[in-house]
Amino acid sequence: MNEDLQRHCEEIIGQMYARCHENAPNFGVTHECFSSSLNATIDRFSSSGDKTLTIKDIDDLLGQIQADDLFLAIACANGNERAWWDFDHQHRSYMERVARHLARTEMDATDIVDAVYEQLYGTRIVDGERVSKFATYSGRGSLRGWLRTVIWHSLVDRHRAGHDEVSLDEMTENVGEGTAHASFAEPPVGGETEMVDQITRDRYRKVTVKAIESAFGSLEDHEKLILLYYHVENLKLREISRLVESEDSPLRAWFQRKSQTREKNPAGRIHESTVMRWLEKCYAKVLQSFRTQLLSEDGIKDGEIEICMQLATQDLTGNSFFGLLTASRTASDVSK
Amino acid sequence: MEKNIQLNPQELQIQGLLDRYLASRNTMTEAGTAHIDEDSLSAFVEGTLNAREAENVTSHLVDCGFCRHASAELIRLELAFAEEEVPSAAPSSSEPTKMSEVLGRLFSKIFGTADGAVFAHEEKTEGEEKAEDEDEKGQ
Repeated sequence: MNEDLQRHCEEIIGQMYARCHENAPNFGVTHECFSSSLNATIDRFSSSGDKTLTIKDIDDLLGQIQADDLFLAIACANGNERAWWDFDHQHRSYMERVARHLARTEMDATDIVDAVYEQLYGTRIVDGERVSKFATYSGRGSLRGWLRTVIWHSLVDRHRAGHDEVSLDEMTENVGEGTAHASFAEPPVGGETEMVDQITRDRYRKVTVKAIESAFGSLEDHEKLILLYYHVENLKLREISRLVESEDSPLRAWFQRKSQTREKNPAGRIHESTVMRWLEKCYAKVLQSFRTQLLSEDGIKDGEIEICMQLATQDLTGNSFFGLLTASRTASDVSK
Repeated sequence: MEKNIQLNPQELQIQGLLDRYLASRNTMTEAGTAHIDEDSLSAFVEGTLNAREAENVTSHLVDCGFCRHASAELIRLELAFAEEEVPSAAPSSSEPTKMSEVLGRLFSKIFGTADGAVFAHEEKTEGEEKAEDEDEKGQ
């Protein structure tokens, strides 16, 4: 970072500190401590991309920081009694509600909140210093959002500890994608005609698998993610629209990049119908890419594409196509 | 999956195909990089992560089933608690007279120790340090 940018950072951080200190003069947070936390966030931000930082980047980054939340977290990490009192007063009952929402029993919820408090306070001592979980909060999201995440992870860890024989992946797989591995049911093969028919069908199936894989692979990451949220994680349109509700959401900006709507009303609310349109565009893109792959790469004729689609659609009623997909993936993984 | 998306027959077919394909992907395979930390994950879920960082996070979420599942659960949770009233960030004016009691009770519950042990990390007073020094010399 050049000297001008460094000076600019210091100036902005100084203003932020003054405001926070005015709001909470008893928290005992020093300018040095506050500045150190924000500089760590800037360093991390800087290393997350190749482009050189500009004054606008810094303004955007620091402008998004939840400064009062960060100030409180730093004070709590330092063990300031007044800050802990405020934290407890403001957030404990919220944490209890979140834990109750996630945990199976009231006792589990209470235990989780206690365990999270233990992490927040910090019981580990490194180089003579108590390590508080609060030190990992950067202020980029709200403190409550961060607390929700910490509680969720604590519950997962707790579940994992109670199921030593089950890996974290297996556990979450059971939660999210439990039916993902069905076996491939081989259709019965009859006489010579049926065998030829079967060979043809297998050929169509194979190219279809390859084409759908390639079509999905050709999407941009934000398009893949929204499809995965919708199809694999079963997020509802309303839930996805919530994710992109913030005007500053990059995911929203990526989808709106080429949209005329954005220019007319960039700050407009994202409705479920908008997310629906984004998904429709993704399907149209996948279809286009799927067709192109079959026509140009696999030598399938235009009329045969319909056969591929029909075969795949027929197979979708059972598990055979699905099994072939899994088998194809396994084979390609092995070949790597 | 919601059924209210209006698609033409071919798009409908591709949607079905995609649905099964995505379910069959070995999505629990971890990405080559470490899992997303809680700080970045919560900022992503709230849509407050800047584009520069969100790009890396999005890319990781496509490959890492664990982090994606975590983010999906957090999105649901965020929505469930969206209508919660956010308290004022400014601290209240009343004095925290019973803070030691609150923390003491909490930590004695967690660690099974007496209240005093909660503040074991606090710096010693000058008198205490002198007394300890004298004890050590005496030994």
